Amino acid sequence: MSATDGLGGDLAIAAFALARRFSAGATMWCVGPVWTEHARHVAVEFVHPVIMGKRALPALTVDSADPVAALRPMAASGDVLVLVGDGATPGARDLLRRAATWGLTTVWCGAGERPPGGSADHVLWAHGGTAARHDGTVVRLYHLLWELTHVCFEHAAVLTPDDRAGEVCVTCSDEGRPGEVLSVDDEGMAAVRTSSGVERVDTTIVSPVGTGDLVLIHAGTAIAVLDEP
Amino acid sequence: MSDFLYPFLEGVGPDVPALLADLATSAEHKAAVSNRLRSETLEREAELLATIADAMAARFRAGGRLFTFGNGGSSTDAASVAVLFASPPSGDALPARCLADDTAVLSALGNDVGFELVFSRQLIAHARAGDIALGLSTSGGSRNLLTAFQEARQRDILTIGLAGYDGGEMARSGDVDHCLVVRSDSVHRIQETQGALAVALWSAVHERLAAAEATRA
Repeated sequence: MSATDGLGGDLAIAAFALARRFSAGATMWCVGPVWTEHARHVAVEFVHPVIMGKRALPALTVDSADPVAALRPMAASGDVLVLVGDGATPGARDLLRRAATWGLTTVWCGAGERPPGGSADHVLWAHGGTAARHDGTVVRLYHLLWELTHVCFEHAAVLTPDDRAGEVCVTCSDEGRPGEVLSVDDEGMAAVRTSSGVERVDTTIVSPVGTGDLVLIHAGTAIAVLDEP
Repeated sequence: MSDFLYPFLEGVGPDVPALLADLATSAEHKAAVSNRLRSETLEREAELLATIADAMAARFRAGGRLFTFGNGGSSTDAASVAVLFASPPSGDALPARCLADDTAVLSALGNDVGFELVFSRQLIAHARAGDIALGLSTSGGSRNLLTAFQEARQRDILTIGLAGYDGGEMARSGDVDHCLVVRSDSVHRIQETQGALAVALWSAVHERLAAAEATRA
């Protein structure tokens, strides 16, 4: 059994990732479509630490009935999205998938029935009953995340440059990368937003695509349209 | 070996797996401390919880409403308490509202009359005799809570405080009818246990309301 199995391990890995993201200039977007109070609590923890001397970090709550639309113009590749809610949070999986498409690191904190694996880069899940939203269980989750993130700032390894983008062969070696269609012209050439920015992508083989569709890109070509999550 | 266990850690240095293991252990330790504080507090405050639940249930039965408030993280915990009572996971909805929810109101009052009055002024506007005012603080010393309790006391509003440390001024104040104290000096651990206290209180209130209904039927 690895030292990082279980929730302690999940928190450790997530905290390390957050510390690296923040060190690289990330903003943390906190979203709680139903559990709004938790999104606000996360933001205030990071932006105004309760412990004196700890770094204030850029964290903002996204308080909108349509968090995808609210985030689209503001969130940048390299940022962090923290979603707080149970497994049935409406719109959660689409939001997390789009955020990942835009190049954000995604975290889902919650309790109750666990969401499907891979729903977010980091799924931080607590055991809890029906009152887990209110009884301190979920609050403890992101308190621990904050505490561990700040421990990481003291570790030099956090400062090594992040090569998430990586070197990729432009012809066959890159795998399918997700992108969000911004616009399509009459010839099927689309402006598509990916984690590296906006790219021109040929969508003729998956036509027709519309603004907002998520496509899988390989060597400048859309090879599939992603279904509803 | 570490590449296999932590494939995402290419190029970060040989001591990162050790860091992660330490962090995981630390998280488990802190969670255990939090759990212990929760059980100790629930046990120690059991009698007071029952007393408060009696008082709150009586007020709700008579048409009273709950107003919650707090600052920062405690404002979101206050919001959580209001949601717990007003949109409960089970049982009947009870009238409850968090006075820290409206940022336009908070900023208007804070800007115009001072932050010390942001909750008391709202109680003056909305609350009436028979209502309940519940303030959450970790220090027990926030001026705007103390002012709110002072105002509430003068209007026959039941005043309940949730505080940390040794309870601070809230525990000593004659304006606070009942003060539940989480004996810790960690803001985070205090807030976590305050959540557990809120749920215990909510549960106890509903038990009493159900019992009252049963005797009436």
